[in-house]
Amino acid sequence: MTVQREQLEADVLIVGAGPAGLSCALHLANLIKKHNGSGAKPELSAENIYVLEKGRELGAHQLSGAIMNPKALAELVPDFEKKAPLDTPVTDSAALIFTQKSSYRFPVTPPPFNNAGNYVISLSKLVKWLGNLVESSGVNIFKEFGGADLIYEREGIAGVITEDKGLDKNSKPKANFTPGYELRAKVTVLAEGPRGSLTKQLVAKKKLDNINPQIYGLGIKELWDVQPGKIKPGYVAHTLGWPLSTKMYGGGWIYGLSNNRVSIGLVVALEYQDPRFDPQAAFQTWKMHPFLRNILDGGKLVRYGAKTLPYGGWYAMPRNYVDGGLIVGDSGSFLDSQRLKGVHLAMKSGMLAAETIFEALKSGDTSSRALKPYKDKIDHSYIKQELWKVRNFHQSFRNGLLDGFVLSAFQEITGGHGLIDPLRAHPGFEAYGKIHGRPEPERFKGDGKLTFDRLTDVFHSGTRHDEDQPCHLKILEPNVCVYRCMEEYGNPCQYFCPAAVYEMVTEGAAHRLKINFANCVHCKTCDIADPYQVIDWTVPEGGGGPNYEGM
Amino acid sequence: MKILVVTEQRQGKWNSTSSETLVAAQQIAEAASGTVSAAVIGKGVSSLAAELAAKNLAEVLLVDHDLLENYTPDGYAFALKQVIEAAKPDLVLFPHTYQVRDFAPKLAAMLGKGMIGDCIGFRDQGGKLVFVRQMFQGKTAADVTFTGAPPWFASFQSGAFRADLLTAHAGGKAPVNAAKVELKAEDIRTKPLELFKEAKSAVDLTQAPLIVAIGRGIKAPENIAQAEALAKALGGELAASRPICDEGWLPMERQIGSSGQTVAPKLYLALGISGAIQHVVGMKGSRTVVAVNKDENAPIFEIADYGVVADIFEIMPALTEELQKAK
Repeated sequence: MTVQREQLEADVLIVGAGPAGLSCALHLANLIKKHNGSGAKPELSAENIYVLEKGRELGAHQLSGAIMNPKALAELVPDFEKKAPLDTPVTDSAALIFTQKSSYRFPVTPPPFNNAGNYVISLSKLVKWLGNLVESSGVNIFKEFGGADLIYEREGIAGVITEDKGLDKNSKPKANFTPGYELRAKVTVLAEGPRGSLTKQLVAKKKLDNINPQIYGLGIKELWDVQPGKIKPGYVAHTLGWPLSTKMYGGGWIYGLSNNRVSIGLVVALEYQDPRFDPQAAFQTWKMHPFLRNILDGGKLVRYGAKTLPYGGWYAMPRNYVDGGLIVGDSGSFLDSQRLKGVHLAMKSGMLAAETIFEALKSGDTSSRALKPYKDKIDHSYIKQELWKVRNFHQSFRNGLLDGFVLSAFQEITGGHGLIDPLRAHPGFEAYGKIHGRPEPERFKGDGKLTFDRLTDVFHSGTRHDEDQPCHLKILEPNVCVYRCMEEYGNPCQYFCPAAVYEMVTEGAAHRLKINFANCVHCKTCDIADPYQVIDWTVPEGGGGPNYEGM
Repeated sequence: MKILVVTEQRQGKWNSTSSETLVAAQQIAEAASGTVSAAVIGKGVSSLAAELAAKNLAEVLLVDHDLLENYTPDGYAFALKQVIEAAKPDLVLFPHTYQVRDFAPKLAAMLGKGMIGDCIGFRDQGGKLVFVRQMFQGKTAADVTFTGAPPWFASFQSGAFRADLLTAHAGGKAPVNAAKVELKAEDIRTKPLELFKEAKSAVDLTQAPLIVAIGRGIKAPENIAQAEALAKALGGELAASRPICDEGWLPMERQIGSSGQTVAPKLYLALGISGAIQHVVGMKGSRTVVAVNKDENAPIFEIADYGVVADIFEIMPALTEELQKAK
């Protein structure tokens, strides 16, 4: 279909209203205000900064544990302690080893797990608050609009095309059809979070990959209201061990929030061997541990969600500047996989991008040469300081926990170098072993009180999509699913998806992959973990997706 | 500036956005010192033209032709092209209706012009006419203006101007002049059929006292007839859980649950429905729930008043038969 698109021009277009994108917008608006106030030329305007957000509301797609190191927020909003919704400061940080029946606390909490000075927050609430500051600074935030395609120009990008609205499930226009806008900008900032769909296109097209491929973890979270006295606000625990095998990289979290609310979750690296491993079921099983059962008993599930996070660190960081474009936040690998902290690094990356863009707008040059200072600023900031120390950390665990502890101990005493530097990584999906005809495992059902099946959990994510729209999960080669994947790997998509989107259905002798796209919680696991890389996650009609209020 | 408003009527009744667009034209004429004419198009519409003549207009153009009795995009475009070429307006305004969306871009293109559609206002900016239209679902407004020679084309959104501000003619009546148009039947490629009123949704499940709902247990579309027969014997409506409607085995309007309808009938007979929470939220208000499912652990039994652990393909025909006997 050829459609005429309306064009709109901006100075700066930011794709994604998360911590990175909003910090970029707010910092830039603040710099512009100061610049214009001093009478300096050329005059700039915060109103020429646009932010796109695919969620229904600010914060609707924000999910994290979350513990936040406040240092970037302190730079951005100096009086944040009075204003920001921080929930509660960390009061106790424990590291626990789980076996099926017992738990052991490390007598001295290892430094990476020590969270003194940090806050337990709801990332969704923080982002909503930050978004309001951004809007009152004059920046335009367009909610319910996603970036569907990039506009390529020079050796980089010149804006995005937003998604078409009002197409039916056969891609035919409905009465409310509105073609996507062609949004052009001098600088486009990709702040899409982990595995951004535009970032993926750009990195592939312009070959921006670093020496290591990106490795992802999948975090599955539930928010519970528990009986009074079960957990102290600010109590923070990380668990290792059961129910994950020592060959798997991952662990659980238990964070006490105010008002008897608790955030629990399990993170698993998407590089495990068993293609029928079910992360949602593992999370539910983990909740059956006596330690958790005791906290949750008598409580109530409030909300569910899932999101991936980039583990790859420094050596997986794509080149983050091109002509007219920058990559910030999780899209750009700004996460410390040892401490599992990314919010402050995402925010800082957004702020450094803002400083770079500010200079580029003043000079009128937005080529990659003018945007390269972004990379230099990162190298001279605490982002590199923090990420450089752990540059080989995640890779050490490729062969399991025991190797990982030994290797990372060497790195700890050599400033991150360890035995081999750089330690190479492999794409996570390469780790799958074949099923060799093993029968399908039984699916986890849940008891409906402490543990839940996937559909019940998805219900609690508040996910909604207009059902009469084209499926946004594109299978590039549908034959692979039926003729190869089924036999070789047993269709892992049926297991790794925490929202029960993928289902292999049998009709007589024929098999077909059924995609319940309306369940999709936008975690991107399918795009990452498919063994043949034939699933392409694209943006659905804006406004669709989960509702992570309070997450 | 000469402004021509193309009004819209259907079967002798005004489309109310027409008056609003006339108001827009009067206000533009005031700001840009111009005149407003209005065109009435159709067959046997002279009384409508006379009605318009009482308004503050320079002229009413009556475009009356046998071939304009029913709307066709070709008929309207060919007729109006001739009207515009004869009247030579600078600005042609339309109400932004479905019909206008259909023919106006075609008409503008025939004259080699662009069109600014769906405007919500205008501004006179130092002698230059600027139109305002919404973008990003009303989040922002864009100023758009014409380049090139007139005539210019624009349409106004319904509700953008207040129809009650339409001013009457100061000195009696505006002249009504017939506009000559030549149309040939063979030029009109679309053949209008009888107008139809959109049928109300064929089924209103929320009002049904008895509902027979099917789920994945029905297995194949050809089995739906059995459930349909049972629903008929009961005098109830057929409904389904999401997977059935997803597959297109039943229309979406029969879907019960969080992404479908919410119902509270006297009797809800759930056949082969597992009872995922997404479905249950749509029917938990039912007075009596009867569930049939092979899986005794199916969550539907937790909310069912009566539960049968059985194969629905045994229950459905037997129940239908008994109901028919009892009649």
